[in-house]
Order: sequence, then structure tokens, then C-alpha cells
Amino acid sequence: MTDTSLDLLGPVDYIVVEFPAGASNFTGEMATELVGLVDSGTIRVIDVLILTKAEDGSVEAMELSDIPDLGPLQQIEAELAELLAADDVADLAAAMDPGSTAGVLIWENLWAAPFASAARRSGGQLVADGRIPIQSIIASIEADENATSGGD
Amino acid sequence: MPLRPARAGRVGVIGHPVAKTAVVAKAVTPGPSPVAKTAVVAAAVTPGRRRRRI
Repeated sequence: MTDTSLDLLGPVDYIVVEFPAGASNFTGEMATELVGLVDSGTIRVIDVLILTKAEDGSVEAMELSDIPDLGPLQQIEAELAELLAADDVADLAAAMDPGSTAGVLIWENLWAAPFASAARRSGGQLVADGRIPIQSIIASIEADENATSGGD
Repeated sequence: MPLRPARAGRVGVIGHPVAKTAVVAKAVTPGPSPVAKTAVVAAAVTPGRRRRRI
């Protein structure tokens, strides 16, 4: 992990991408896109885990380095910081269905770091953040449309 | 395969069981025209489009 001042650290996010049993179709496309985001300086990958949840609910975690042929992910694996603790595995796997496999990705939003630093230097402090689900946007648009058509 | 020893005994960063979110692919596929629905969402977040009424 490269040394990063906390003042210059961008927001850190995570996702858990589940692949239901029999539904995965790995072509290398995801790896290519991820490496592209890293190479462009958009994000820095902090940690990656691969989780497998058995039908009985038990969870097995695998390091990225345990994958035999990493291909383009090799350069990312070399820079991982292992932020996640063993205790995090159960918390993250709670979102998974039994019988599925999931990739856990932790990353720093490098693109946001300069703005966040500027906000802090200006005396600002983050009091809320979050993500707006696409479903909420759809619901809002549909409500607007219904209100408009109802008024005709 | 086991996790690296460095991950054991540390305080976690997630802190609580993660709830499953709604699967986005399912949210944009119902209805007669999923492509049209996706286009509507895209239009809603298009720069310059303002729809706020407060």
C-alpha cells in the first residue's frame, strides 16, 4: 500500500457482486474494466476477496492471490492493502444467497480526493453521503409522470 | 483456502451485517419496454435537465 495522507484520502466504497450458482460468465471483461479504472487514476483498489456461500450458509473466503491465473488483475493484487478483517467476511456474506459466489471490492475514489481535501481546507465537514438506488430514480420519474398525466 | 493471518484478530471495517440490495437488473426489466425505461432514467440524470420543485 502506498503511503497516503489521511487528509488526501478519497472516499472509500465497497461493493459485493454476487454470482448466483450457474449464472457466472467470466470472460475477463470485468478485470479489463477494473484495470482501466485503476490505470486512469479514477480509483485505487484497496482490497479484494472472493466469497463462496454454501447451501448450509457457511462461508469460505479466498484471497485474490489464491486464483491461479490472475491475468491483468496481477498488477492490482500486488498493490492490495488487506483492509478487510476476518470479522468483515460474515458481515459481507450476509447479503449473499446460499449457493452463490461473490466478489468483494474495496476501493478509494481517487477522483474525489482533491475535491474532498479542498472542502476540508475550506472548513467543511462531511455530514452525510450515500448512493441513490436506480429503483428510487425510476419510482420518482414514474410518480412525476403519473402526476402529470393525472392532471390532464 | 484460509485468509491471510494478517486479517485475523483485527477490528472489522464493515461493522454490521450487510443487507442485500435490490438487484438493479430486475428493476429495469419489468414492463413492456425495459429499453424505454432505461432511457427515461438516463434522461433524468442528463446534465441540464432540471426537475426539482420545492
